[in-house]
Amino acid sequence: MDDLKQLTDEEVVEIVRSKNRDLYAVIMERYKDKLWRYAKNLIGDNDLANHIVQDSFVKAFINLKGFNAKQKFSSWIYRIVHNEVINVVKKRRREIPLPDNIDFSSDDDQEKDFEKKEIADQIEKCLSSIPLIYSEPLSLYYIDGQSYEEISDILRLPIGTVSIRLSRAKKLMKKICQQN
Amino acid sequence: MSTELKNINETVMDKIHDGQLKMRPKIYFIAGSVFVFVSLVSSMIFSVFLFGLIRFSLRSHGPMGSYRLDQILSTFPWWSLFLAIVGLILGVYLIRRYSFSYKLDFKILVIGFVLAVIAAGWLVDVIGLNDIWFRHGPMRGFMRQYYQETI
Repeated sequence: MDDLKQLTDEEVVEIVRSKNRDLYAVIMERYKDKLWRYAKNLIGDNDLANHIVQDSFVKAFINLKGFNAKQKFSSWIYRIVHNEVINVVKKRRREIPLPDNIDFSSDDDQEKDFEKKEIADQIEKCLSSIPLIYSEPLSLYYIDGQSYEEISDILRLPIGTVSIRLSRAKKLMKKICQQN
Repeated sequence: MSTELKNINETVMDKIHDGQLKMRPKIYFIAGSVFVFVSLVSSMIFSVFLFGLIRFSLRSHGPMGSYRLDQILSTFPWWSLFLAIVGLILGVYLIRRYSFSYKLDFKILVIGFVLAVIAAGWLVDVIGLNDIWFRHGPMRGFMRQYYQETI
């Protein structure tokens, strides 16, 4: 079991694909909490988040041989959850439109106190109140600790767009959280 | 976090052991990639050929052709322009399916692709490929038929 802990996700996936399907449980164990929190923050519903995570693991297993082991497995599995979330949101049509009165103009003083660790809890509380295009990068960056490049891979956006969305999301979050 | 989440591992592993969940074979993904690639190349060749044909049609009106605007417009192969644009749109859609495409600026990608196809179509006509097709090759009948329709 200790040997398994030494293995990277990509190495475990390679074993699952070629030798031992049972090790897929290791992958699920590594990711289920993170993915559940990610889905829950975006959807705001525990049961739906459970379904999304389970469906994502099912889809990931079915398509495991399509995963390119040269890439990061975490980006791949997050991408699957992202797609599931989008499907659920489309189904429920509950994406909240961006309020008209939100101003994205520069506000450096406000941003200074918006430091990563301090705001993680606050973000978790307000995340489901903001539009998905902003809540996703915010959740991935502040809560899941993903890098800009990983977020770019998960959301399939250029890194520049990720940066812009994060910047806007911070301002939007601050305004919406302060109102609540 | 609910107990349901804790059971996800068991539920998924049970499905795997029962044979309800099976991995798709590697060939499925290879075939998908090949299909996208072949479709992309086909749409590009198709669009290049049609853009070449458009230039050929403008040229085939002979000397002083530019003064016969009405004739050009009436015999212009609008269908080929339409199909060339459809081919371009399909090509852009297929490019988006490639995992690298999101790393590039989409506008630049689209503009570059469209310009490359139009330039290639123009080049096909300039280097005389349309004239060769007019005389020989598998496109001979099509080009001649088209030429006779326009004059």
